[in-house]
Amino acid sequence: MGLPCGTYNYSYAKDMAILRTKTHWALFIALLVLVFTAPLYWNNYLLGVANLIGITLIAAVGLNILLGYCGQLSIGHASFIAVGAYTAAVLTGTFELPFLVGLICAGLMAGLVGLIFGIPSLKVKGFYLGIATIAAQFIIIWFINHLSITGGFTGIAVPYASIGGFVFDTEASQFYLIMTIAVLCVFLAKNLARTRIGRAFVAIRDNDLAAEVMGINLFYYKLLAFFIGCFLAGIAGSLLAHWIGFMNAEQFSIAESILYIGMVIIGGMGTALGPILGVIFIRLLQQGVMFIAPMLESAFPALPAGFASGVSPMFFGVVIVLFLVLEPRGLAHRWMLFKAAYRLWPFSY
Amino acid sequence: MAEFLQYSITGVTVGMVYALIGLSFALIWKSSGVANLALGGLVLIFSWIFYGVLVQVGLPLWLSLIIVIIIALAFGWLIERFCLRPLIAQPILSLISVTLGLEFFLEGLAVFIWPEMVAGLPPLFPTEPFKIGPAVVSQAYVWAAVISLILFGILTLYFRYHKMGIAMRATADDQLAVQASGIPVTSIFSTSWMFACVVSAIAGILISSISGVTYGLVETGLKSFSVVILGGLDSFIGCIVAGPIIGLAENLGSGWLTPIVGWGGLKDVIPFIIIIIVLFIKPYGLFGEVRIERI
Repeated sequence: MGLPCGTYNYSYAKDMAILRTKTHWALFIALLVLVFTAPLYWNNYLLGVANLIGITLIAAVGLNILLGYCGQLSIGHASFIAVGAYTAAVLTGTFELPFLVGLICAGLMAGLVGLIFGIPSLKVKGFYLGIATIAAQFIIIWFINHLSITGGFTGIAVPYASIGGFVFDTEASQFYLIMTIAVLCVFLAKNLARTRIGRAFVAIRDNDLAAEVMGINLFYYKLLAFFIGCFLAGIAGSLLAHWIGFMNAEQFSIAESILYIGMVIIGGMGTALGPILGVIFIRLLQQGVMFIAPMLESAFPALPAGFASGVSPMFFGVVIVLFLVLEPRGLAHRWMLFKAAYRLWPFSY
Repeated sequence: MAEFLQYSITGVTVGMVYALIGLSFALIWKSSGVANLALGGLVLIFSWIFYGVLVQVGLPLWLSLIIVIIIALAFGWLIERFCLRPLIAQPILSLISVTLGLEFFLEGLAVFIWPEMVAGLPPLFPTEPFKIGPAVVSQAYVWAAVISLILFGILTLYFRYHKMGIAMRATADDQLAVQASGIPVTSIFSTSWMFACVVSAIAGILISSISGVTYGLVETGLKSFSVVILGGLDSFIGCIVAGPIIGLAENLGSGWLTPIVGWGGLKDVIPFIIIIIVLFIKPYGLFGEVRIERI
């Protein structure tokens, strides 16, 4: 379904391939070339936005596996990112371990914490699980603020990432690091969804009781979903820590967690393309609001004083509600419709 | 001992206000099965509106109360009509997410109109404190607890005897049967949202009369989820029992543990730890109905 005209499947491998036609390959390579040559002609501001998008994307892919494929609600995703960020910060900053060790440990640590808070998912679901993860959000952030090793309320400084002798100290070099990992994560997530594990996740999402009756081990797969989702969050956290260079628990508020859910919903839950579109959409909107709100404020002095800080949460709240009401399948679905339409153009069907 | 009494009394009275917020949640859950995660935002926005009407506009107390209640009714109707009704029969995930979006919007709205972050309300109750043995309790706490109990009584009676209340319970049980007997389900939903908004407005006013209007109210709203989880989602009596328990645990725990572990702010995290413990041990709460699922 949804293939260009004249594409036939002669073998199973061909049927399962992600990139089917020469045009696909050409476009894909062009996109990769475009992304990885971006630092040549983008300035530091654009690269900074791209880096933020890349980091967010890794975390959102994790949440999409958890929420979109496996159907387990997590309203504490930002706190799992925080676990990763602080693990990386402490390991590379305080203990001066190499970046890659910090990166992997950040992922594992966040995954383990995710497992702990994922255990209630075996007994409860839906709203109860949402509450459990809200509790996780507050408990984790509280511990970060009160442990001495994490720097408490003051925060902790993080050195630049470095592999071998090479230090990623410019936006451009970090761009390559972040984008490489982001592309890898998206690829892994896309493939994960097509394996036995991914199909088990979807079965659990659609009806976990039926899935269990069919012989899917709920204990294993639900916790696996939590582990993978939080592992990716931890990886994103580590990159975020090295990118910002300074960690403070305020960056990981519950509002950020809700925003991550918003990204996955707006992009389209349970699709590979969804998180990419959702993350780009939300982060660009944020930049836009940040850019326009002060301008509007100076142009119209009659606006209330809280305009600049209040307008963006209001706006995102409305966007999330509108998407849920009008297009619950998200931007990815719109993109599919568009693709179907242009392949048939100029015929209507 | 005096310390213990002090902590307990404060805990129980604060817990009653948590119970009130929990009631607002249970109202919606009972009739429409929607989990309202926007509680914190609702409590926050109504407290600010009350502050705006009472202090900024300078209306008398009774008039501002009436205005806030009318606004709360309007909010409830609007929320149900434009956010929840289009999502009837959608998966539970969408229903939860839509209230999260709402929470975002309400918080933004509060910052938008009242950027000052902190404001004090004039004392609504006599300021002279009660003395119970060696403990001292400010009257505001006691009044808050009394008002919560009264509202709890009214709601319980309403749900038991009033036609609309019975219809609400029936809706929670079987929507199709309710529709077949000629009760418009959608109007039940709007009514429950309107009620819930009024209850959370009153809870917000009570809390902010004690500790001022701050953005910490959002967290208070979130904390009260521990009340509904502990009490059981669909139970009023659960709320009114669990509220004081949470309040007690919060105050006694932080009062005694803080000197031992040396960490401040334990108060803010205890309710969330209770949530996790309850979900591990007895996920449907003390009085909640255990749902048996069928395929």
